[in-house]
Amino acid sequence: MQNTLNIAIIVKLEPDLSEGNVSYNADGTLNRSQTRSILGPHSAIASRAAFYSKVLYDANIKVCTMGPPIADIALKQALEICNADELHLYSDRAFAGADTLATAEALKTGIERMGSIDLVIGGHRAVDGETGQTGPQAAWKLGFNFLGNVIDYNVDLANKMLHARRLIEIQGLYSILEEVECPLPALIAIDPSYKERYNTVSHRLKYVRLQKEARKRSENYKQYLKVWNAKDLGVDMKKVGLPGSPTIVYKVEKVPRVKTSRKTKIIHGNDSELLDVSTKIVEMLNSK
Amino acid sequence: MIFMKYQHLFVHFEHDDGNPANVSFEMLGEARRLMDDFNRKYSLNEKVIAIILGHNTKPLCEKAIHAGADAVIFADHPELRYPKIMLDTKVICSIVRDRKTVAKAVEVSEDYEKPRYMFFGADAIGRHLSSTVLAELESGLASDVNKLVVDDVIITHEHKTKGKPEKYEKISFMYRPDFSGFLWTQILCLDNKNPEIASEFSPQACSIIPGVFQPVIDKSRKGNIVEYEPTFAGKDLRIRITKREIIKSEVPLEDYNVVVAFGRGIKDAPESNIKLIEQFAKVLNAEVAISLPLSKQPYPVSQSIKSTYFIPARVVGTSGKKIKPKLYVAIGISGAAQHIIGMKESEFVVSINPDPDAPIKDESDVYIQGRMEDVLPALIDSVKKLKGGK
Repeated sequence: MQNTLNIAIIVKLEPDLSEGNVSYNADGTLNRSQTRSILGPHSAIASRAAFYSKVLYDANIKVCTMGPPIADIALKQALEICNADELHLYSDRAFAGADTLATAEALKTGIERMGSIDLVIGGHRAVDGETGQTGPQAAWKLGFNFLGNVIDYNVDLANKMLHARRLIEIQGLYSILEEVECPLPALIAIDPSYKERYNTVSHRLKYVRLQKEARKRSENYKQYLKVWNAKDLGVDMKKVGLPGSPTIVYKVEKVPRVKTSRKTKIIHGNDSELLDVSTKIVEMLNSK
Repeated sequence: MIFMKYQHLFVHFEHDDGNPANVSFEMLGEARRLMDDFNRKYSLNEKVIAIILGHNTKPLCEKAIHAGADAVIFADHPELRYPKIMLDTKVICSIVRDRKTVAKAVEVSEDYEKPRYMFFGADAIGRHLSSTVLAELESGLASDVNKLVVDDVIITHEHKTKGKPEKYEKISFMYRPDFSGFLWTQILCLDNKNPEIASEFSPQACSIIPGVFQPVIDKSRKGNIVEYEPTFAGKDLRIRITKREIIKSEVPLEDYNVVVAFGRGIKDAPESNIKLIEQFAKVLNAEVAISLPLSKQPYPVSQSIKSTYFIPARVVGTSGKKIKPKLYVAIGISGAAQHIIGMKESEFVVSINPDPDAPIKDESDVYIQGRMEDVLPALIDSVKKLKGGK
């Protein structure tokens, strides 16, 4: 169909940092072996944003990720959220150790292999890497328009135009709410404060129906899953994995404590001590 | 005559419609320090060059020189008035790859191709812009850096050097704290010296956390200011801004004299602990802040608590706001380095935490060793009484 909106979502399998699932070592660092992995929270928001297009525009959705074989769980969870049509896992030892540039290269190749994608949706950042670089780098490699910090969007299908709102917070300056438009294809990174709006009864009913369908289909997610190795995908082997990564992690060490000039008074919270603190606090409140 | 394909440190000067972001001055301060050390160490004379894109932003050029740039290359065009990632990427890449333009600003080698180092701000402008610029320049980028050292290093790496020790010179060691705030990772951008995958990666680039480095302003500094005239094709102007408004943060933490912040320590009883914290904040006329992990919504709490408190707008730290209230109370916050950066300029700090090894202790004027469940009710009572007595 000519007027179908074709969407790709890029997602990531990440450690589950929610309480009860996450495990920290005594020194405050993440205990990776004791922490299970799930669809990253920002990937989940990106999936929600894609589902919006499923409900409004009957979009065809393909979800992709690069990762180890178990990353198919992230794809399953994304399907559950957005009722995706296809799941693509790019999995090969040759992809391992990739930095953001090499990851963007694999994702770019995968998205190109999907055919005519109009809109790629990614999350704000991964909770483990926290770079937020992969999305814009994939966009640049694809030659797609990139919009970051998107808090809501709509598509004008007839004119293949994207309308989006962006929230740009500049530390120490101010925040800007920006409305932008650009022709498709585009790649958008969804801001954590993204909110979808289903304004009509028919959209809300469709939302419920498609969610139900998504849950059902996710039980048989393997039916919709295609696993690609580097050769199938046809990547340029020099541009992926470790060979394609300009950067390496050279060393990991503990962050030294920040130097401080404060003289800490240590108390254990008995009544007279707390009264002293309270007195000081009230003094501060009144000092203006 | 010198031959060096990669030279100089280029800093992307961030601003919005002529209003400079603090991180621009902080980056230039650090750039100045780094290149002064670099030039002493290697007996070279490489420069700090600020790139400023905008419209009517001439006044910023002089400010960039005062903040540490040896030279400024600016592009002035109505289309460049606001940050636009696709357009800005194209202009920045054209500037840094254009030997003629760079040569107008500073002395440059005959075979100059690209920058040696590049800095961007790790914020809503620079984070994405650095990504696309480095995708175009096909080199390495470390994000959220808070320490930089330049040195030579011997590397033995399966891919980079095919397992053989190789010497790398003038490498930027880019330190970034990980998401927990307790680990520090050194990222290096290294050429592939392995002949099978040989490739040179330059510039070595990073985005820098706002609020980390000190600006050093010297109004007597002089430097070259050079204009670059950008050319646009139609496809460069594909993204159109149709409306733009400056908004206040939904939680203006910066405007409060007293801020009460909480962290993962609420975990034993999130709902009731947050109620306690709410009460305490009310007594103090304080706004409520959180540490970064809470914005990831790690607890199963009611939707209203989630949407009121577990939101990025309340985060204090490098991924959120940097504040300096008169009184800062940290409850159940361990004090990862990123959090400390956001609150260390508070006038008076009280912390409540059962763990005496928590780093927040050192950044407190009063540290109360205890659980918030025990300490807060008593504290609320006694502050109420004292206030009532006035």
